[in-house]
Amino acid sequence: MDYTLSEEQEQLRRLVEEFVGRDAKPYLDKHGREDFPWPLFRKLGELGLAAIPFPLAYGGGGLDYRCYALVLEELSRLGTALGSALAVHGLPQLILAKFGNEEQKQKYLPAMARAELLGAFALTEPHAGSDAQAIKTRAELRGDSYVLNGQKIWITHGGEADVYLVMAVTEKGLGAKGISAFIVEKGAPGLSFGKRERPMGLPHHTREVFFDDCVIPQANLVGNAGDGFKVAMTALDSGRITIAATSIGLAQQALDYALSYTLERTAFGKHIAEFQGIQFMLADMAAAVEAARCVMRKAAYLRDSGLPFNLEASMAKLLATDAAMKVTTDAVQIYGGYGTSEDYPVQELMREAKISQIVEGTNQIQRMVIARELLKKLRQ
Amino acid sequence: MPVNIIVCVKQILDPEIPSRDFRVDAEQREAVRGAANLVTNIFCENALETALQLKEKSGGKITVISYGADSTEDALRKALAMKADAAIHILNDGQAHPDPLSVAQVLAAAIRKLGEFDVVMLGRESGDWGVGQTAGLLAEELGVAAVAFVDKVEIGADGLQLKRQTDVGYERVAATMPLVISITNDEHNVPRIPKTRDVMMSFRQPLTKWTLEDLGVNAAEVRAGNHYYAVVDLFIPVQELNCEFVDGDTLEARVEKFAQRIIEVTGSM
Repeated sequence: MDYTLSEEQEQLRRLVEEFVGRDAKPYLDKHGREDFPWPLFRKLGELGLAAIPFPLAYGGGGLDYRCYALVLEELSRLGTALGSALAVHGLPQLILAKFGNEEQKQKYLPAMARAELLGAFALTEPHAGSDAQAIKTRAELRGDSYVLNGQKIWITHGGEADVYLVMAVTEKGLGAKGISAFIVEKGAPGLSFGKRERPMGLPHHTREVFFDDCVIPQANLVGNAGDGFKVAMTALDSGRITIAATSIGLAQQALDYALSYTLERTAFGKHIAEFQGIQFMLADMAAAVEAARCVMRKAAYLRDSGLPFNLEASMAKLLATDAAMKVTTDAVQIYGGYGTSEDYPVQELMREAKISQIVEGTNQIQRMVIARELLKKLRQ
Repeated sequence: MPVNIIVCVKQILDPEIPSRDFRVDAEQREAVRGAANLVTNIFCENALETALQLKEKSGGKITVISYGADSTEDALRKALAMKADAAIHILNDGQAHPDPLSVAQVLAAAIRKLGEFDVVMLGRESGDWGVGQTAGLLAEELGVAAVAFVDKVEIGADGLQLKRQTDVGYERVAATMPLVISITNDEHNVPRIPKTRDVMMSFRQPLTKWTLEDLGVNAAEVRAGNHYYAVVDLFIPVQELNCEFVDGDTLEARVEKFAQRIIEVTGSM
């Protein structure tokens, strides 16, 4: 295993760096982060960045997860606005690529790779977050249609996305085995959206999604009936690597800001970088970022090699998001009062870091996954 | 009408690094690379973008040439990723400060080795030394006309229609080929960002490598350089801030003295 970037990876990183500097940052500075950055998303498609790890045959990049993670990390240096959009867009893509039938793949994947269609993933409900198998949204087969009833919450790209991968109960009383996965297109009868939720630091908001006798063709079932929970968990296992990658990009940016500030700011007649108290903070921040990055790359490497990676993916998500929280908080601390000002960038990174400890499985859930994997190995 | 285009590019130290990180080695009279990236000179990328747009309209072929150290391969791979058709790396194996004339001689030899061409495009100057002589010298070496500071190239009735920037506005030039053009930046030639797939494919494309010996130039002479050009000193200017108060009994006297001081200070600069 190699810890350095290959020439190809370095060129790919620079491509993203150029896109961030030339297109993304000026756009976000001008338009703010309130609305979904459609022109930037389309541009990601144009550059071939909207489907990096998905099959070439369906318009994807055909690249590995290490490249995907690298792109997400570099993209997230401007905050998670685009990194998280790409990661969320990747969940339905991954599900369709892995579990979809030929017709579904042809219909959605190339258009999603070109960023003509935006994807969303709808699992969480008001009373079912970590306990995902407790979802209540129902899908009943009536003739050759499924009829969905229920409510989802905190759905990233809700109202914006064109394609929703929705988990719903097809058979009551079976728990996880009674859940199935469906494609619901924007515009389906009975599909509506709530007001914008405003989660702290999630730039372009989430919405509730309502299904009120929402009718979709039977052909929109993804995989077999009853496979939905497995489908969702498979997507989230890989998704953890992407959240780790975006968090590491965010943390690296905060560290770079803090580092450079310690050579600008003077106190007691010298640069604050001269003080050991600051130096120790910088050292801990850098060590946390690097450690998380190594575990994240290992998880990606294992996945790319076709080896089990759940354990490492959960560790990566846990370590990277905790590192992001700590590093961005310390960056604010190093900036002192200025760090809390909206005129300086670090407070925004700190606000964006928090939610990463909660999404894609809270960090408590990650610990459960890690412990379960450890004990499973012991029992075998 | 398909156009056979050659674009010459140069790899330089990233000019976007924070000024705090910029150092020079006064003894060697060169910039210290430090942790900075090597990038393609921006005006060279403007030239390549101009060439790509011309080719999209007229058809033809773009060959990118660079004279530089081993690392120059990166700049050429990027040019291929931007969709240049071929890339040629002329290895600089030991000319520490290539002067514009020897660069022009090397490029001219490479272009002659390639054979026919319609137009050669270069950046108007490089972001490191900013000498801006290579295009003119190259035209001289090739024995063709040169047009400088061009920001737009279109196919004309009898060759190319060029728009060039001048101190007072712009000029439209009708030019017959073959010729050499130096390209300056404009909103229309902002270099494209290569697509992911093309970046990956660029590493599978062939890249021609020539040494000075392959070009049939006198390699020893080229390495020795031309003596018309020498870097005598290299330093980072030190900014000095002095605050001076001008006094006088009346406002008129103060203004008079103030004006006098401005003349003295600017006169001494």
